[in-house]
Amino acid sequence: MSILATKDTHVVIQGGLAGVNAARRMAEFRYMIKQPLNVSAFVYPPDAGKTNEIICGTELVMIPIYKTVEEATANHPEINTSLVYIGADRAYAGTMEALNDPHIKTVSMITEGVPEKDSKLLGKHARKLGKTFNGPSSIGVVSAGECRLGVIGGAFDNLVACKLYRPGSFGVITKSGGLSNEIIWICSQFADGITTAIGIGGDAYPGTDYVSYLEMFENDQQTKAVVIVGEMGGDLEERAAEWYGAKKRRIKLLAVVSGFCQESLPKGMKFGHAGAKEGLKGEGSARAKSEALKKSGAIVPDTFGALGPAIKATHEELLKSGQAKPIPDLAPADVPKLPKTVQESMKSGEVLVTPLIKSTISDDRGDEPLYQGYPASELINSGYDIPHIIGLLWDNRLVSKQEAEIIKRIIMLSADHGPCVSGALTTIIAACAGIGLSQAVAAGMIMIGPRFGGAVTDAGKWFKYAIDNKLSVDDFLSYMKKNVGPVPGIGHRVKSLRNPDKRVKELVGYVKSLNMATPHLDFALEVEKITAAKKDNLILNVDGTMAAVLVDIGFPVDSLNGFFILSRTIGMIGHWTDQKRQGSRLIRLFDYLVNYASPKRRDVPPLK
Amino acid sequence: MAKVLEGPGMGLLRKWGISTPNYVVVTSSEEFDQLSQVNDWLQKSKLVVKAHEALGSRFKLGLVKVGLDLTAAKAAVREMLGKKLETLTIREVIVSEAVDHKEEFYASAKSTRDGVDLMVATCGGIEVESNWDKVKHLSIEIGEAPTDSALSSLVKDAGFSGETAAKMAEFLKKMFTCFDNEDAQYVEVNPVVLSGKGELVALDAVTLLDGDAKFRHKDWTFPFAAEFGRAYTKNEEEVMAVDAKVKGSVKLIEIPGGNIAMLPAGGGASVYYSDAVVARGGKLANYAEYSGDPPDWAVEVLTEKVCSLPGIKHIIVGGAIANFTDVKKTFGGIINAFRKAKNEGKLQGVKIWVRRGGPNELQGLAAMRALQDEGFDIHVFDRKTPLTDIVDMAMATK
Repeated sequence: MSILATKDTHVVIQGGLAGVNAARRMAEFRYMIKQPLNVSAFVYPPDAGKTNEIICGTELVMIPIYKTVEEATANHPEINTSLVYIGADRAYAGTMEALNDPHIKTVSMITEGVPEKDSKLLGKHARKLGKTFNGPSSIGVVSAGECRLGVIGGAFDNLVACKLYRPGSFGVITKSGGLSNEIIWICSQFADGITTAIGIGGDAYPGTDYVSYLEMFENDQQTKAVVIVGEMGGDLEERAAEWYGAKKRRIKLLAVVSGFCQESLPKGMKFGHAGAKEGLKGEGSARAKSEALKKSGAIVPDTFGALGPAIKATHEELLKSGQAKPIPDLAPADVPKLPKTVQESMKSGEVLVTPLIKSTISDDRGDEPLYQGYPASELINSGYDIPHIIGLLWDNRLVSKQEAEIIKRIIMLSADHGPCVSGALTTIIAACAGIGLSQAVAAGMIMIGPRFGGAVTDAGKWFKYAIDNKLSVDDFLSYMKKNVGPVPGIGHRVKSLRNPDKRVKELVGYVKSLNMATPHLDFALEVEKITAAKKDNLILNVDGTMAAVLVDIGFPVDSLNGFFILSRTIGMIGHWTDQKRQGSRLIRLFDYLVNYASPKRRDVPPLK
Repeated sequence: MAKVLEGPGMGLLRKWGISTPNYVVVTSSEEFDQLSQVNDWLQKSKLVVKAHEALGSRFKLGLVKVGLDLTAAKAAVREMLGKKLETLTIREVIVSEAVDHKEEFYASAKSTRDGVDLMVATCGGIEVESNWDKVKHLSIEIGEAPTDSALSSLVKDAGFSGETAAKMAEFLKKMFTCFDNEDAQYVEVNPVVLSGKGELVALDAVTLLDGDAKFRHKDWTFPFAAEFGRAYTKNEEEVMAVDAKVKGSVKLIEIPGGNIAMLPAGGGASVYYSDAVVARGGKLANYAEYSGDPPDWAVEVLTEKVCSLPGIKHIIVGGAIANFTDVKKTFGGIINAFRKAKNEGKLQGVKIWVRRGGPNELQGLAAMRALQDEGFDIHVFDRKTPLTDIVDMAMATK
């Protein structure tokens, strides 16, 4: 048995993220005692209609979110308790809504900083309706082996350490959330643990006080003794003392009160919770409260530290008189454990997972990316450059200084080719239509293909085929004519022998000036001699030149188009920002740029 | 609970129809000179000059001057502004019009568990202190308002009669309306006087408002004053500024002359730690508290302030077993500030005592323990050591 939060408690949580977090903690508790989750619904208007995912052991449970408490209880009539996780400025209205719902008997409010007037009005309203309003500023309620409301009790390991999976003999009532947990722990170590622990909150005028709960504990046969942790200020402890001393009570009462330090501090200096303040005339001091409790017959240790031994002595008496029975400890194998996550299981070597993908180039699980195992910052500090990163990520190797220089020149030469080419023009049209950077550049990128910039890979492939198969230029050309078609990398729309492409000249000139073997480039130049002789625009174009050079320095054929894509991205980004900077307007083609070759206007025939 | 100084307190009474003397709050002599040129009453009436600061016993300190003409008032303003008292410099002065009167009364309203207590007496000023039995009460339940007949019998019961009784009942009604609408926790008007014109006037106001209700009072533009007879220190104000910004809370109150620095977690546990120090005869250098899983940087700011308290011998990093405050994360903030303090040459000869439990306690405590290797004199205990035993151990090392 227990009070307030029991195995029959079904909860609606009012609020957002903090409420979801509480539900997760509550689910851990329920998993520990092998019961299904007792949170039926959330009320949070911004997310109404959606669901919150709560992990319950090894399952993911979807809990619906409603706009109003009424909707929640209509759909889940088992709900009898509400937890309020709403901000202080809206908590009053939300709590009223819950109190006024006929299904709900108990409302516990975690919200801190609620105006005193609001909490008094809520307390009065709840009393009028015969319901329980716990809080504000309450850490929650936990009944061992039955139910947890809120995050009281802390992490899973602590729930187990405090033996909250089964009831003991002690009830706990505190204002402080941290101390509620401390007392739960003490009861589990010095005695047989708790029945129910309640945080009433540290405000000056909590909705429900010690007396209401002492009365409930007195009627709960499982609870044999109650520990209350009081504070200076207000008169709740005095009222508890009055209740306890009024007649013979079944339960034993243990109490400590904080605030003795006040006696030796400058007057008016206020510590701790909002409610922890001495009255203007000195009433409500720690000493007055302790005296009142002692006089009522309660056990009042001098210090918090002496509470443990006092609880122990009380428990021994209960055992001796037979009121409490010894509870054997669980066998280690029976102690509840949370299921491990995949990561945790892998860490302890208990599970093997087949990876979904395999990566051979990079790893960013540490504090910085590793490219082929080399930390990016160390590459920078050792003088490496962008071409080396390309080498590492595209060909899994560190290229030489000379190779890096060639790559750099290729990028510089092909970064842009003016606004008229397919890629740039498309990017510009997109920019003028108000399209964003990544989409506009992607639009330009789509133009890269067999006729525009996309011939590098194919050119490299066929030049490599020729060299690998030791074909003569003539054999190669006849093979291409028969099986493939025009030679990729040969031919240009506007450039010709008489109007050569300066970029090709520049690149060829540089590569030939180096002391390196260039079989593919040499072959390509030989091919050009023949094709250009047939027609003077069948020259080795920039795609073909890049391809031959890159194959010469060992880049795989499949990566070759990447050099053009990478380079031209620089230009396309430039064109997009250029148009953006100018505030360019939407453009459309002029009619005179179109040859309207469709039929002239004519009569539509009747539909048959 | 938030204390409001006399000026804004009077302003709230006026807002709800209670007469107060004319008054001005000034921050410089020049400002007062200018005000005296445009306000007739400053030139014609007798004046009262008071320091407008969160101070107790202003009379004793010579910070209240009565019966002054304008010239004397100007001299008093000049003399008071900028005056230094221990931790406080007087920055504001309130000058009000003296009200001719024969009789002084007492009226107050106080928040109680069930609602509001209205109190009234026919003796006012300092007399009420020795005649507490003459003060009569009326309890009003929350959500209700006092009826005219209840107010009428209250003032009669207190000994008022005739026209004054009716006026006082009306005064209390207004005071209650003010109290209720302004989310007040305590309003004391002492004295209420019957002016020559036969009107009840509030001569002084002690006002405590519910700081938590600030969100619904857009006209609370005045600052709240410290409640313990002194202004907040710079460190306290800086910690309050952080507290206002973050989820959870960080709190600091400095206590000059102490040598045991407190850095415990939790609004409840922190007071037990303070009790333990006092019970063992120690002198607290401060009160501090962090709770509700505040961000690590907020705890770091708090720790920096605690480390820079003068003359400290011990720092008590105590705490109960947290429900949801992450021990590893909050300790991370404390450790950062400890390292910083040590690099600045602070914490020499200071012993640090740690006791804590809660989420990620193992990692948090291990990180604290590792500070031993960096030369900190630090002693770390887990949940198995009772809450305040570290205080006993610290005090035993003397």
